[in-house]
Amino acid sequence: MEPLVYRHNRVTRLTHWINTIALTILFMSGLQIFNAFPHLHWGSKAEPEEALVSISATNRHGDVRGYIEFLGHRIDTTGLLGVQLTESGPTARAFPSWITIPGYFWLAGGRRWHFFFGWLFAINGLLYFVYNLLNGHMRKFLFTPRDAAKVPAMMLYYLHLRRESPQDGEYNPLQKMAYTSVFVILTPLVLFSGMAMSPQLDVAFNWLPAMFGGRQSARSVHFILAFGFASFTFGHIFMVLATGMLNNMRSMVTGWYREKVPSHKEPPRAPAPSKLKLEEPPPAEEKRQPVSETTNSAVVQPPNPVTAKPETTDEKTPIGTATNTSTEEGKEAQQDVEK
Amino acid sequence: MSKSNLDLSRRRLILGALQGTGVLLLSGCEKMFNSLQGNKKFLSLLESGENATQSVQRLLTGKHKLAKEFTPQDISRTFKANGNSPPIATDYIADAARQWTSWRLEVGGLVKQPTRFSLGELRSLPSRSQITRHDCVEGWSAIAKWKGVPLAEIARRAQPTSDAKYVVFHCMDTDDDGSNYYESLDMVDANHPQTILAYEMNDRALPVEHGAPLRLRVETQLGYKHAKYIQKIEFVAGFKNIQKGKGGYWEDQGYEWYAGI
Repeated sequence: MEPLVYRHNRVTRLTHWINTIALTILFMSGLQIFNAFPHLHWGSKAEPEEALVSISATNRHGDVRGYIEFLGHRIDTTGLLGVQLTESGPTARAFPSWITIPGYFWLAGGRRWHFFFGWLFAINGLLYFVYNLLNGHMRKFLFTPRDAAKVPAMMLYYLHLRRESPQDGEYNPLQKMAYTSVFVILTPLVLFSGMAMSPQLDVAFNWLPAMFGGRQSARSVHFILAFGFASFTFGHIFMVLATGMLNNMRSMVTGWYREKVPSHKEPPRAPAPSKLKLEEPPPAEEKRQPVSETTNSAVVQPPNPVTAKPETTDEKTPIGTATNTSTEEGKEAQQDVEK
Repeated sequence: MSKSNLDLSRRRLILGALQGTGVLLLSGCEKMFNSLQGNKKFLSLLESGENATQSVQRLLTGKHKLAKEFTPQDISRTFKANGNSPPIATDYIADAARQWTSWRLEVGGLVKQPTRFSLGELRSLPSRSQITRHDCVEGWSAIAKWKGVPLAEIARRAQPTSDAKYVVFHCMDTDDDGSNYYESLDMVDANHPQTILAYEMNDRALPVEHGAPLRLRVETQLGYKHAKYIQKIEFVAGFKNIQKGKGGYWEDQGYEWYAGI
């Protein structure tokens, strides 16, 4: 049986689940807040005739139709957005009750949830960030120009158009790109655009709304970023399901992940023949150089085990990445316990 | 043929089951969130966020930093007048017809010099003009030019005692149930240089729908703090005994007293 390796430290696991709850509630209470003024504008002010996006309803002799209007183009969204069937008949409501917190229309309630979980999201994120920055974990998924060069190859690999994965660490280039953009783009921007809507903070920091082009722009950006988080989350959940849900869930609950070394195809004891081949030609040697760099630095920092990804169970096993370092994993586990 | 039918019905069954589970889950969530919303202890936990927001925002802001002031070109063509309809009391209508000559602003409570000001007297006091952005709690913003007397000037004349911690604004507009609008500020916001009692909007006498004859502008806070149709300003030690005790009309309905975000 494949060995269990310790993959996620306890701070990562705790903050991950708090984040799951916080993001869900922020998204749903955010839609409640949006419902109070279901229009998006650009600039500092909201002139009614200048809305970029509106979700609203028309009522023609009792026939209530919901619609979304985007730059003057109107799409009927009855049954989804703009109108909801309630006990008292069709009611105008941008986002339906099942996706808002609270379920009934109450702006004050939505705001209470949103600001409480906004604090939780920020503090929790900071805890994760500081802890994993100091222990070197974040470097494993920092998207670098070198990773950017590998993105096309990784896409081809996912599309089954390329045999070998260009991955050379714990995370593949696309994963690194997704995770890094959450940290470098989504999270800071969602926090800044949220704070830019605060009149009190705007007094302290005039540049806050200015960096988005005005308070209404900040509100629009905040809304779009919320859907950025939602799409990341759906992609994330899809990958968790697609790469072995139980194993992934165990590693995010207990920390322990079952390494899937495809021993039947590639005995871990003997070096893979193709790996040897890779070492021979000089161009490939150059390619390998950065890999050994990461491994070296990982010795100084908390271990950076180059483990096989769940994808390795696939027929198109990436070759030369399955370096099993369960002893180092053990060290990390021990370290975590000490903390 | 039968096999594809079977497949189809099985698919329907699975899809139906998934859909059912989804609906159950969602309506379960909705019920859970709604019942949590009704739970007093949980609500007070959520409300603890307000204190954190207030302390941190105040810490970051300082007392004399100004809200951004805009140019005349930025002034909104449309400025919604939310809130209650203008007062319908006969006194109010009669006062409006007389250009507010018989209207008086009463300043009292915990002060050494209770005073009454006519609109003419307020206009003769030092004034401040500002083109600022109004941010409604609903999410929209509008820009207008306001002119009025700084609240600090009024306080200087009334001389609040050291017990006075808040300023309460009693208004003439009422909701459908007859409750009067009111609002309150603490001394930090009351003494902010841009906190003014405005009698002009966009270089004209304050229109009735925007709170004639006198309204509050407090640029660090959301729109519902900007009380309209002010009749009386009261300096108090606390607001527990005023109406439902939360310090304002919307606060009594569950909105935050601290409206800095």
